[in-house]
Amino acid sequence: MSGPLAGLRVIELCDELGQLAGKLLADMGADVIKVEPPGGSPARAIGPFVKDIPGPNRTLNFWYHNTNKRSVVLDVEEESSRERLRKLAATADIVIESLQPGYLPGLSLGFADLSAANAGLIMCSISPFGQDGPWSDWKSSDLVGLALGGPMRMNGYDPEDAAGAPPIRGHGDQGYNTTCHFAAMGIMAALLHRDATGQGQYIDCSMHEALSCTVEVGMPYWFYKRIDVVRQTGRHAAHRRTEPWLFMARDGRHILCFGVGRDNASWAKIKQWYRSEGFGQQFDDPRFDDPRNRQPGRGIPEAEEIMAETARFIAAHDAEYVYRGGQERDQAWGVVRSPDETLDDAHFWDRGFFVGTRGEGVEGEAAMPGAPYLFSATPWELRRPAPRLGEHTAEVLAELG
Amino acid sequence: MTKLPLEGIRVCDLTWIIAGPTATRFLADFGAEVIRVEHGQAVDAIRLGRPIAGDNPTLNNSGFFNYFNRNKKSILLNVRHPDGMEVLKRLIAASDVVVENFSSGVMASWGLDYPDLRAIKQDIIYCSLSGFGHLGRDRDFVTWGPTAQALSGLTFMSGLPDKPPAGWGYSYMDHTAGYYAAIAIMMALHHRNRTGEGQSIDLSQVEAGIVLTGPAVLDRTVNGRSWRREGMPPGNRAWEPAVAPHNTYACAGDDRWIAIAVMNEAEWQALVQAIDNPDWALDPRFATNAGRLANQDELDARIEAWTSEFEDYEAMQILRAAGVRAGVCQAPSDRATRDPQLAARDWWHTLPHPEMGDCEFDGVVPRLSATPGTLRRGSPLIGEHTHAVMAEVLGMPEEEIAAHEAAGVFM
Repeated sequence: MSGPLAGLRVIELCDELGQLAGKLLADMGADVIKVEPPGGSPARAIGPFVKDIPGPNRTLNFWYHNTNKRSVVLDVEEESSRERLRKLAATADIVIESLQPGYLPGLSLGFADLSAANAGLIMCSISPFGQDGPWSDWKSSDLVGLALGGPMRMNGYDPEDAAGAPPIRGHGDQGYNTTCHFAAMGIMAALLHRDATGQGQYIDCSMHEALSCTVEVGMPYWFYKRIDVVRQTGRHAAHRRTEPWLFMARDGRHILCFGVGRDNASWAKIKQWYRSEGFGQQFDDPRFDDPRNRQPGRGIPEAEEIMAETARFIAAHDAEYVYRGGQERDQAWGVVRSPDETLDDAHFWDRGFFVGTRGEGVEGEAAMPGAPYLFSATPWELRRPAPRLGEHTAEVLAELG
Repeated sequence: MTKLPLEGIRVCDLTWIIAGPTATRFLADFGAEVIRVEHGQAVDAIRLGRPIAGDNPTLNNSGFFNYFNRNKKSILLNVRHPDGMEVLKRLIAASDVVVENFSSGVMASWGLDYPDLRAIKQDIIYCSLSGFGHLGRDRDFVTWGPTAQALSGLTFMSGLPDKPPAGWGYSYMDHTAGYYAAIAIMMALHHRNRTGEGQSIDLSQVEAGIVLTGPAVLDRTVNGRSWRREGMPPGNRAWEPAVAPHNTYACAGDDRWIAIAVMNEAEWQALVQAIDNPDWALDPRFATNAGRLANQDELDARIEAWTSEFEDYEAMQILRAAGVRAGVCQAPSDRATRDPQLAARDWWHTLPHPEMGDCEFDGVVPRLSATPGTLRRGSPLIGEHTHAVMAEVLGMPEEEIAAHEAAGVFM
């Protein structure tokens, strides 16, 4: 079996901003050729590194975001290399780039140049602010993008938890990730148009726009109420302060809980569980029977009592026990895990989610996240680990003839 | 008008809340005919979601719902009525895609598992978006966006050291699971275009979150290092690449902040020059990135002493003029009223709505040169298109529509 994009060739000229877009296509079967400058993609300088020893082939960040790609070194500052790149692009279905706006057109490598002899070419430019407008020449970073685009302003603290704390950036380069999700969506929409018509096109994907429409209730509250929602500790920003969702368990980990026994069936299970552990003896009082009295966030005394007792229950147990016990009783509770702790959850191994990769400095395989989706006919597949710098230069140039 | 890239694709949209509707919002923006199947007995809670236009929710005046459901159609269908289920099966037979984000098991209980769907429409593309997916020991566990964020590690990765998690102030994983669903559906459509073969897609919201943490997972499996350690999460300071200064800094005014990221020596020199070459910046401790990292507390305090003298946009202008990566932590009102970049690119739009009047929207990203996505209409009233879909999509005769109407099928 091979992925849904098998047979497609993609040329990728991306740094850390755009590399996930190439991975999303490569992991589903496309032949993604990553064209890197002689010193390697700037993303090869981003850690963490294997055993903390830097090197272009030792970065775990690069390993993760460049699976299933081939690496070709071409110095686009030289005309002979540019000519090779044009030849390569003539064989491509898709070009993805995240270089400075205007840079490739300045080298006669823009969409007009590359599509002249390849009418079906889809070219996607990924940039911090888009290809035009007063900010288009500005450099950015994941932090700066999340600040201007709006996500940061949604995240932060109640004054009681951290007085005067700034808006907080969620880590993991999520600004780049969201941008690449939109790039992949745009490329797929363009590909479907090409399936129908044979026509290629150019795609301008702006991180600033991608983030600006990825803040859920943020924009609607402005559109309809002219209100900026206010950030709060560990829960949704809102137009007014709301009840906490995070409760610390005995082991110091946090449980996410935004409601207990909202419906009668799950309330009965929760009551029995609490009782069996010596909690919630008061809940047999009939005033707790009406589900309307158990809905949190409305200032109802019964609901507040339930949350207070739940907080005591959580504080007396370890977080993973509370999480599983809650879920087994139909509560959409969570446990706040550090990212690596997901490795300890057997469910994801049941699904074959974690996959082994290889690379310089590591004996055998190292597990990492795999498929974001399970396709029945054309599954996600790890065909090869991230390439060493220039690993496929000779191979690809030989294919070009 | 240019043909839209997904024109001719019909989506039987069984989704609700945020994650599923996010996926179909993108498909609808690019021209798919998205038909929301709604139920009067179990209304999409977002139809009552705030903000609403006016004071009392009516099912048709939620701005929250409008935002996620523009360009779509709505039919009311009572699937607990045998004839309602029959109508749903006819709609599936007339669709290219079925997408739902029910808890795992609901579709099976309706007799609409993938094999059933394939029996109805041989090349159907079925995308199921659930918390934990349909395989694995915890497949019956349930999530909301914040649950998936907590379980995947994303909540933990947002916060100051020695504080509770700040997490995400919105359902980032509802958005993102929706994006993955849209990507997957379009990939499956491409495969169907080539081969005629449909397929089912099982998307777990928690897994879609874990894939956003890859380097942190590898840091444990390769280097044995967990993010749960002293000094982590690092707030707005950098993890990797480890650079400084890299943080948010208070500006003049109430709760105004600027983010500054200095990625290399040249940018450090540019920053020093932009803030008028203060004596402290010549301290040898700040001469190298390693030195700046080791002395971040003092470095950040010095920089904040400078930023706090300026309004945030003013500070941004000074720093940008020098080539420093800097950006105001913009609120929604800032983006709508003070952001020249979004304004210059015509990001903001207005569409009429029968109950709410003119409503504001943001635009379509990314921008396709030949077949850009479009905003054609606001969200549908509940059941607005029931009659039209029955008559035009299913070719149902008027008498049959009337009989179903009388029998309570369309409620």
